[in-house]
Amino acid sequence: MNVELVLEILREHFPTDPLEPRLVPMDDTVVTLTPENLRPAVQTLIDRFDLRHLSTITGIDTGTEIELLYHFWDGEGLTLRTVLPREGSHIVTLIDLIPGAAFYEREVSEMLHVLFEGHPMPDPLLLPDDWEGEPPLRKEVP
Amino acid sequence: MSRITIPIGPQHPALKEPISFLLTAQGERIVDSTLRIGYAHRGLERIFQSRNYAQNVRVVERVCGICSHVHTTAYCQGVEALLGLEVPPRALYIRTLLCEMERIHSHLLWLGVLAEHIGFTTVFMYAWRDREIVMDIMEELSGGRVAHGVNVIGGVRVDIDPEHAESILARLDELEGQIEVFLGVVLHERTFQIRTHAVGHLSAKEVRRYCVVGPVARASGVDVDLRRDAPYAAYDRLDVRVIVAHEGDVWARTMVRTMETVESLRLCRQLLTELPGGPLTARAPRRVPPGEVVSRCEAPRGELIYYIRSDGSERPARVKVRAPTLPSLATLPDQLQGVNTADVPTVLAGVDLCIACADR
Repeated sequence: MNVELVLEILREHFPTDPLEPRLVPMDDTVVTLTPENLRPAVQTLIDRFDLRHLSTITGIDTGTEIELLYHFWDGEGLTLRTVLPREGSHIVTLIDLIPGAAFYEREVSEMLHVLFEGHPMPDPLLLPDDWEGEPPLRKEVP
Repeated sequence: MSRITIPIGPQHPALKEPISFLLTAQGERIVDSTLRIGYAHRGLERIFQSRNYAQNVRVVERVCGICSHVHTTAYCQGVEALLGLEVPPRALYIRTLLCEMERIHSHLLWLGVLAEHIGFTTVFMYAWRDREIVMDIMEELSGGRVAHGVNVIGGVRVDIDPEHAESILARLDELEGQIEVFLGVVLHERTFQIRTHAVGHLSAKEVRRYCVVGPVARASGVDVDLRRDAPYAAYDRLDVRVIVAHEGDVWARTMVRTMETVESLRLCRQLLTELPGGPLTARAPRRVPPGEVVSRCEAPRGELIYYIRSDGSERPARVKVRAPTLPSLATLPDQLQGVNTADVPTVLAGVDLCIACADR
């Protein structure tokens, strides 16, 4: 994967998105997109670069917002980052593009209370069926 | 023909760790299946946020009971990258040596489990007996069979003297002789082939769709191995040969893992004979500067990823772990579709599940 070329294509397709590419240690580039453009960006990367290996999705509650990081890999890492509000956080699912995303989205959903629109089976992945507490990775949990 | 539903797990004699399957069978064929994980979930990602970086090495080690060393390798190299720390070459070699030994014992453990499931008790007994050769070496080096405590941030805490290296090399030769016997079974033993050929089939396309990694991906013709593709630790100084098969069934997975064991033995020899001199650790500060890192390692089951974010304090703001078993689990309903009920344990064993890793 040629990260420079990826960035060029993303700039071309999503000119209003921040992108703000930053190189992080161990060969990974973090690129920021708006939540609405995350799915179209993944579609573009699949069409143009056949980038299909989603290693995982990391969800982080920073205290003021929810950050989602989609870690892709093809020879080197590419992380697509997007930021959601803490209240009513939602984003469109990637399952139809990358079926492997199903488990990762379920985990982020239960741990941080993010709704993945269009997920066919949004059940808990790791938490018990009768879990009633706060989502465990939210800052509200002491 | 009427359908019956068979629950397997979370506790079941065929399972080594807790996981639950609900299989629907029509006659002897599986027509539908669902799975549920989370029975070994310990909330480790939350715990990581309440310990400091050094304490977390010991918690990370307990994510998995088989590949504990590669977890600490991925975590430590991530923190070291955040610190901008240069790890001494001798430490990188010892780290890599343990990674390869772990791959050997993990693959032999798996071979035994598979052999037991297909009723080949002799191979089960021999594989687990011979696995002890490498388990003993790891115990001599580190003092532990499961949690080795070898990695620290900045290096390793164990050393290998030349006499010990000689004794290890001799025992690795002995082990290689045994693995050739297993390879003979995989290649020529008809009983073994009947039970594994065309069972649990996964095409390269499905591997890509589900983002499957490691030996399962390589057995379906997807040529990917982070030791060669994104070398870490001392792998950039080794000649890693990646084993790929194209059949995509349990037989191919056995072939890939058994050949990989031979490859790992070769890498262990190279590491021991070329072990550079010098210190074992670089001094690591307690506080980690703000930043983030994505650390990847090739665990025995494939790509292991750690995402670590630092806010500049003594504790990480977030540590995310994705073990290689998780994507493999997602393929199981597809793999089980249409298989004979008697082949279910073979399919489940074929992907080499590590539930504790997947559940964290």
